[in-house]
Amino acid sequence: MAEILQYIQKKGLFYTLHPITKIFLIIVLGFFAITTTNIPFLLFLIGIIVVLALLSNLIHELLSQLLLILAMSVVLIALMVLTLPSGTTIGFLIPVGIPYIGGSIPITTGALEFGVVLSLRFIILISGFQLFVISTQPRDLVHTLERFRVPVDYTLMFVIALRFIPTLQIEGKRIHDAQLARGYNPGKGLLGKVRSVAPIIIPLVSNALSRANVLGLTIDMRGYRKKRTSTFRERSFNRYDSVTTGIVLIAVLGGITSMVIYGHTL
Amino acid sequence: MITLERVSYKYPHTGRCALDEISLKIEKGACTLITGPSGAGKSTVCLAIAGILHHEYGGKKGGSVLINGKDVKDYKDLGELAANVGIVFDDPEAQLIFTSVEEEIISALEHRDLSEDEIGKRLESILEKTNLTNIRERPPHELSGGQKQRVALAATLALGNDLIILDEPTSELDEHATDGIFEVLKVLKKEGRTIVLVEHKFNRFQELADTVVLLEKGKVIAHDEPEKILKDKSVHDALIPDFSSFRLKGVNLHRDRKPVIIIESLTHNYGEIPALAGVDITIDNGEFIAIVGENGSGKTTLIKHLIGLLRPDKGRIVIDGEDIEKKKVTDIAHSVGLVFQNPDHMFFADTVELEVEFGPKNLNLPLYKNLVDEALREVNLLHAKDLYPRWLSRGERQRLAIACVLAMKPKILIFDEPTTGLDGNEAKEVMEVLKRLQEEGHTIIIVTHNRQIATNCADRLVLMESGKIIEDISLLED
Repeated sequence: MAEILQYIQKKGLFYTLHPITKIFLIIVLGFFAITTTNIPFLLFLIGIIVVLALLSNLIHELLSQLLLILAMSVVLIALMVLTLPSGTTIGFLIPVGIPYIGGSIPITTGALEFGVVLSLRFIILISGFQLFVISTQPRDLVHTLERFRVPVDYTLMFVIALRFIPTLQIEGKRIHDAQLARGYNPGKGLLGKVRSVAPIIIPLVSNALSRANVLGLTIDMRGYRKKRTSTFRERSFNRYDSVTTGIVLIAVLGGITSMVIYGHTL
Repeated sequence: MITLERVSYKYPHTGRCALDEISLKIEKGACTLITGPSGAGKSTVCLAIAGILHHEYGGKKGGSVLINGKDVKDYKDLGELAANVGIVFDDPEAQLIFTSVEEEIISALEHRDLSEDEIGKRLESILEKTNLTNIRERPPHELSGGQKQRVALAATLALGNDLIILDEPTSELDEHATDGIFEVLKVLKKEGRTIVLVEHKFNRFQELADTVVLLEKGKVIAHDEPEKILKDKSVHDALIPDFSSFRLKGVNLHRDRKPVIIIESLTHNYGEIPALAGVDITIDNGEFIAIVGENGSGKTTLIKHLIGLLRPDKGRIVIDGEDIEKKKVTDIAHSVGLVFQNPDHMFFADTVELEVEFGPKNLNLPLYKNLVDEALREVNLLHAKDLYPRWLSRGERQRLAIACVLAMKPKILIFDEPTTGLDGNEAKEVMEVLKRLQEEGHTIIIVTHNRQIATNCADRLVLMESGKIIEDISLLED
């Protein structure tokens, strides 16, 4: 079973960086991804993430999400075509030849372009976040968020949410098996599918909620809600942090400069 | 170290009396085993001793609990209590917060004002003590139930308290994993820690206990050293369930010696890892088979094949004269019923009746309402028909899970660890149901770690190891 957003023990660039450096890099890339609509520049930012993933030995993990990202891109582009027609019409979603309704949903260059921009933005944001989370030990994450004065309750909430993703995946599979053995039939059609979700979702949610009490008491009785009094193997900034930050910043600024020189607008 | 003086507790809303004037003294360095049937108030006593009851729960409280001479009410909050008391709960999954064994322990150590060197040393010592060194980097979802519970215990030990309270730490664990916890507790006892252990596996833990407290309906009904407490016959029977009476039940009834399951050269791999390596077995109609073996021996993989949840890589399975290779799970479910270890993995309906209805309705069985009543009667739950399934006790939920499958009218019934998490009486009730079903002509297969149940209740014992059947013994007397 593929593990979603779980820390993966490997060796590589992102593992040597301080979490603050990683957060900074992800914010920089995310900021430019959100502020630009320039497709080549967005592709360039994706290129930077791919290089970082390659240097961190995490490219396989990034690519494993490719199918999901492609599906999301198709949905986004379709939504743009349906809701934001602008620019030149290059065809119709419903072919003109079909009587009455033919030619009613135009496919426009503006909608396609904006759909692609949105998809690329999501790819940068999702991949950057994924790269950060799977290369950072949750304890380092807690320490870093504490430094930013994020209240410990919120930090624990985030760590627990990540920690329970695979648990829920495994439990979901067990519940599915148990219901199949009772002749459960995952219904046909959209309505059937929605109806057939109850035998899986209700036990999954009920079991998760019944754990909340013990989880809460465990947090209190281990004193996790109080400030730490000491740290173990705390990460310190090293030369990789400054070198990587410098290279990424130079690359991004270089990219912006060349776009401007070649007459593109960001 | 701990004194309970006439401690009483009534739950809010229901007003049910969970503790009724309990007085206890627990000496420093002693191991106190608190036991009793489900609903006796064992977990509530744990919460009271840890101070949680007074700080976190509503309801009516009476009496006093003193830890190290100070009333728990005078501790500021749970954080302050945590500096004096360590507690391990029954659910291993809910007690792991971080994403590796090592992180879980370090995070607790980091709250103790220790130098980095000292944290490193204590980490190694705790890992060794709890036998976790080899799996220190593993994430929680890759650990077995027993390993998870040892991690929870290790994180509690990291807090450095002398007093450790364990609330049914092995209730969801098999015998092998229980042994793992036992070994750790043995080490802690040797170190002189004060241990309060709530358990219904009296047999396994009596060796550790200096004192045993038997609770029933919120009252202490016996309190003495283990050897002395067992002299009273009623206490002995309550603490040590005896399954030998099952030997005579159900044997040779409805046995026509016709094979109902034939498994030939069954092989299954999980990726590169072999799970079943050429299993051959024939099971006759009306037999009661117990499959035993260590974790990872292939028991659960084998039974999942019998209902089509897993498919053979090689080999053949014939059920009731038909090869099931091409059959869907829903088709196989007409003749094979599988009850999983944790009943809570199946309950989703608002009432017991609707829950049981789900299976026969899925199979389009006629007169399914009658089947529901019949199944509930069989497991003695007809009276609970209109209740919410999750309100039932653990034992009742296990019997409800049996009813859910029974109502589908399968000829063959398979149970994965049917008595895990149950106290002695509940386990007996479940086994009585199973023996009755055998008498009625069903073929019964159970996967269990409990040798006492396996040898007393089954006609045949199948021992598995490394994906193979290494022994197949008839337990029927000539």
